[in-house]
Amino acid sequence: MTTVLSEERTVPGPPSASGGTPSPRRSWRPPHLLPYALTVPALVAIGAGLGYPLYRLGIMSTQDYGLRQQFGAPPEYIGFDNFTDILGDTYFWEVLRRSLVFCLLAVALTMVGGCGVAVLLGRLGRVMRTALSVSLLLAWATPALTATVVWQWIFDTRFGIVNWALTKLGFDYEGHSWLAEPLSFFTVALLIVVWMGIPFVAFTLYAAMTQISGEVMEAAAIDGAGPWARFRDVTWPAIKPIFVVLVALSTMWDLRVFTQIFVLQEAGGISTETNLLGTWAYREAVTGNHFGKGAAIALVMVSITLLLTVFHLRQMFRQEEI
Amino acid sequence: MRFKKLAAVGIVGTLFLTAACGSDDDDESGGDEGSEDSGNDSAFAAPDPDTEATLRVWLNGPDTPQTMRDYAIETFKETYPNVTVEIEEQEWDGIVPLLTTALNSADTPDIVEMGNTQAQGFEAAGALVDLTEVEGDLGGDDLLDSLKEAGTYDDKFYGLPLYAGARVVTYRTDLFAASGIEVPTDLEGFIEAGKTLQADNAGTPNFSGIYFPGRNWQAMLSFLWDAGGDIAVREDGEWVGQLADDGSVEGLTTVQDIMENANQAPADSDDRNDYIEFCANEIGMLMGPGWKSGQIAEECPEMEDKLGVFALPGSDGAVAPSFLGGSVVGISAKSQNTALAYEFLKLISSEGFQTQYAEAGLIPNQKAFLDKVTGSPGAVAQAEAAENSRFTPSSEFWAEVEGGDILQDMGTAIGNGDDVADAASTANDAIVEILNQ
Repeated sequence: MTTVLSEERTVPGPPSASGGTPSPRRSWRPPHLLPYALTVPALVAIGAGLGYPLYRLGIMSTQDYGLRQQFGAPPEYIGFDNFTDILGDTYFWEVLRRSLVFCLLAVALTMVGGCGVAVLLGRLGRVMRTALSVSLLLAWATPALTATVVWQWIFDTRFGIVNWALTKLGFDYEGHSWLAEPLSFFTVALLIVVWMGIPFVAFTLYAAMTQISGEVMEAAAIDGAGPWARFRDVTWPAIKPIFVVLVALSTMWDLRVFTQIFVLQEAGGISTETNLLGTWAYREAVTGNHFGKGAAIALVMVSITLLLTVFHLRQMFRQEEI
Repeated sequence: MRFKKLAAVGIVGTLFLTAACGSDDDDESGGDEGSEDSGNDSAFAAPDPDTEATLRVWLNGPDTPQTMRDYAIETFKETYPNVTVEIEEQEWDGIVPLLTTALNSADTPDIVEMGNTQAQGFEAAGALVDLTEVEGDLGGDDLLDSLKEAGTYDDKFYGLPLYAGARVVTYRTDLFAASGIEVPTDLEGFIEAGKTLQADNAGTPNFSGIYFPGRNWQAMLSFLWDAGGDIAVREDGEWVGQLADDGSVEGLTTVQDIMENANQAPADSDDRNDYIEFCANEIGMLMGPGWKSGQIAEECPEMEDKLGVFALPGSDGAVAPSFLGGSVVGISAKSQNTALAYEFLKLISSEGFQTQYAEAGLIPNQKAFLDKVTGSPGAVAQAEAAENSRFTPSSEFWAEVEGGDILQDMGTAIGNGDDVADAASTANDAIVEILNQ
């Protein structure tokens, strides 16, 4: 997906150069090539950075690639066996369902929470707004691994502050394992993912909201619109395009979530019950030494993400046309 | 020092037993002994003493104490003053995926340590240098048979046994005295003692009579084997799972009884930090390697005179079967310093280095060193435990079972109070699928 976005960002030069102002002098060809030439460095970088690994991934997904192949044995091509193997595996469907539900919840909570924080940012005084912005930035800037480890400590069975606090409040949470049951595990994971996702959404939506002129809001208020009506009829239509893009981005991020789940799995719980697509691919490939199958899972995962995104963006453009 | 004799006797006893189950196929290379120096064209010919290089050695976990690392580095410097030996400590947890990538990179370490249950996958894959021709100089037939088997794949020798260790029970003598319990003589007595400690120390938060976190699968195996169960056996070239059989389920039910009634360790944690909790006064007994008491005494010296160690007794009153852990070291096939690495392997297989393992509470890699053992209580109990030691299925795919957390997850399920037969059956299916791939 990154490929597509970045290419689109670099490509717009040529169409406007050739289509927008048709050159009267046909012999002047080189200038037309220039915009393309300018994209070459970017394309080379993308090709080297993403193209080759993707190519290898594609090849590997059609191979029986294990530990021996990793150390030099020639891999055997097995066509689409890896894919049929995955699609025929009930565990895949279970993990897929789990991933989709997790993604849906994470995106919904992130968007609602982010939107709420954005509104809050707009209404706060200067000092509090700065404090909130800094807090959000810190949460956003913390590397996923660090943040997850800290959260895991917070929920630690023996020494975690959550158990300590709940026990102090009179509940029996002494030695309670938050990660042992899948439902409880995913609640903690969801909390971390949403916590990390909110700042970006909040800032972006807040930026969008600042584009709405104060007069419009004032006029609406004078016409008798309450806060909710103002949000629904003035703010919402203005921020909707950005909101939709944010949903698309969050969907991509939350569907391929890896670090948070993996770190929590290392800390507790039963990994087969808590795998999402990303961790399953990793476990198949790296701990199971089935690199071919892992590659195939990764490709299936990319396809699902692309399908969801394309579907979502089409919906968006359609609505805009109306 | 007074344990010296006892330890030596125990260990020798062990080795006769383990020798008996070793395979007969790997004897042929014994003839290489002594002939090595003449063959200068070999990849293992001793390098020039002036050689300049950096030798990277990966050792895992705290098993090899710092004093031994220093000893190895300094001794090696005497012969090769221009060679820098860098010993890097890796975590046991996740070592297989780490080696899978590291051994295949240009930046490969020269020497790596692997668990005895993990090594065969790498040997089969060609990740390690074939040491068959120099096996004699590394200990040859004198190497512990069971570990040598872990270092051998397809009759070729790749992994030099480094040390072995059986699992023993480390306990608090003062708490035993306070509750009026003696060292148990059978399995039932052990569980009873655990429950008594649990009840008598109910006022101590997080106290475990028998510390048994769900992911401590090595400890679980003792109960499984004691009840007549097993993980899997090979029949006609196929692995047949036995984890869901009556004996195994019976043993695992005993484990569940301990986890639920004599233990407060979380079902989804492992024994990595057990020594810290032992020092925090939260553990009556724990099942761990022989060096555990040493690790505890180092962490909290005030505990040292309250530490006792015994071999887990079986239900018949004899020593219960226990998992013989250990590790092997090999040279990365991508190493640029094969000859130097081989010289280093000779050093760590030498008497001077190996006898220090015995002092640290581990079993050295060769039978000849066993009478040099100066045993700590841990070493004595361990030697006793090792008399009845057993192993995980000998398969190149076993590492996937370990890496896939299958037994660990089974333990978590059992500790969570799930149905034992169900948990065992789930793990059994997964293990059979991996071993028979």
